[in-house]
Amino acid sequence: MARRGLAAVAGGAAVAAALPWLLDDFLVSLALSCLMYVALATSWAMFSGATRYVSLGTSAFFGLGAYVSAWTVAAAPWPVVIAGGALIAAAFAGLAGLAILHLRGTYFAVLTFGMSELTRHAVTYGEKQYAGTVGRVLTVAPSSRTVYLTVLAIAVAAVGVAVVVRGSRFGLALIGIGADEQRAQTLGVPTRRVKVAGFALSAAFAGAAGAAMAVRWTYIDPTAVFNPFIGLQTVLIAIVGGPLSLTGPLLAALVFSLLAEFLRLQFPYAYLIALGILLIVAVLYLPQGLAGLWQTRARAERPTAAR
Amino acid sequence: MRLWIELVVSGLITGGIYALVAMGLNLQYGLMRILNVSHGEFLMLGAYLTYWAYLVMHLSPFVFLPPLLVGLFVVGLVVHRLCFRRLAETTPEVEAFEARSLLVGFGLMFVVQNVALLVWGADLRGYQYLAGTVSIAGVGFTANRLVAFAAALVLGLGLIAVLRATLLGRAVRAMMQSPTGALLVGIDVRRLHPAVFGVGLALAGAAGALLSMVFEISPSMGEPYTVTALIVIALGGFGSVTGSLLGGLLLGVVEAIGMHLTSPSLKMVLSYGVFMLVLITRPNGLFVR
Repeated sequence: MARRGLAAVAGGAAVAAALPWLLDDFLVSLALSCLMYVALATSWAMFSGATRYVSLGTSAFFGLGAYVSAWTVAAAPWPVVIAGGALIAAAFAGLAGLAILHLRGTYFAVLTFGMSELTRHAVTYGEKQYAGTVGRVLTVAPSSRTVYLTVLAIAVAAVGVAVVVRGSRFGLALIGIGADEQRAQTLGVPTRRVKVAGFALSAAFAGAAGAAMAVRWTYIDPTAVFNPFIGLQTVLIAIVGGPLSLTGPLLAALVFSLLAEFLRLQFPYAYLIALGILLIVAVLYLPQGLAGLWQTRARAERPTAAR
Repeated sequence: MRLWIELVVSGLITGGIYALVAMGLNLQYGLMRILNVSHGEFLMLGAYLTYWAYLVMHLSPFVFLPPLLVGLFVVGLVVHRLCFRRLAETTPEVEAFEARSLLVGFGLMFVVQNVALLVWGADLRGYQYLAGTVSIAGVGFTANRLVAFAAALVLGLGLIAVLRATLLGRAVRAMMQSPTGALLVGIDVRRLHPAVFGVGLALAGAAGALLSMVFEISPSMGEPYTVTALIVIALGGFGSVTGSLLGGLLLGVVEAIGMHLTSPSLKMVLSYGVFMLVLITRPNGLFVR
């Protein structure tokens, strides 16, 4: 299963890597935003889908990554910038996780939302105070092909790590926490450590994605990169796709980036209304997400294999 | 001294509105475990409807308040019927229900806010109502702020009185304490849940109506109030309506004084800081022993 999954990921990645040489700029930028959401939604589902700790803090990690990139891109080599974004986001998530991961359900969701808003305001304040400006113009930036391939690499890494994690003890521990945390603890899972590690791991990908995407925008400010909408759309894609599946979020990321690209510019309000309705419908009628559609069918065909 | 009186009184005035917003939200959460993050959007709806009634039909906000309350109550019934009833039936486990209803709330937020943007556009709007100045202890306040505060307090205390004294209120409190026990003594959940959800929205709408008398309104005005309501609820305790009233007033005063002592640009950092600190250290609220 894991081997077949990895092979499929490698095939998809090879196709995606060729796109900048085959398609025009518009389609490549579409593919780029799709890959960004693949990375974000897959890494979100890795932790939140498995443990059912719904995190709304993705935008905090993304924004931190973007700011690390803005601060260092002129001075450091590109891979170091990306790694820095990932590390800072992971460290921040680790610290925040130590403080808030004992709270479940709504408390956790609301706290992570508060955390990303607090980070945004703190960065705004810090930039005003010490840099004398709110936004930053990125004059030095790698070529757009480099950015595309970087985001592709992050997305592939996220999917690959998700596949590996699923089959590992660590992944089973995460799912055990989602099913029944107390039981998992009783059975000897170090729940606190697993949760903090999972939260930090998932944040690392969001941080890396933020660091890579920041240079695409040439001008960044806290309102743009800490936009709670990034976090919400990530959750939306993962939920609509199916928080427990790998292929679901991939498909959903594709659908949503297409929707966003074609609707958002012409009908921004209608686009967001559609997003809202989709989210509600998905939560109400597709608790397993889009992936639930083919998973139930597969189970119906092979009733014994499902057990 | 005069400065401090001014800070405290203006803090209390803002806090009264905070309290009203938070009480509706907390009532819904305490009873049904629905943390409705689209709460502020219904506040915005109330503000716009009041504005529209004032401009088009020349109705004073207070004359329009009763129909507004009824209207939003009905909206609440419909929203509950469409979104939350099915969710509650298909998701019996509390934690999963909480997480999912939160996501439904975000969906509603997108829908309501952007429908408002489509209908009314993104501009700031406002009207003049009771804009004269009244002086208290030598400090001047505009009359509309005082009236809004009084109305918020009346509505808030009224809600607490209903919860304390009437049979209906007792039923609601019983369900908050023990849903199963309430079912056993014959309280009709299927009727009470939508009704309480409607009351929550009606209170949000009332807060919006009061705000529209004082401040300019815009379709994105709701979100900050949702956040403030969450902070107030965290201060007063999830599920405690009286706690929300006290927490709202407290937050108003703390904000007014904090902004005076530091700087207005730190307002959100301060509120979020307080919020996270309280949730991390005292997740059951400040007033719980």
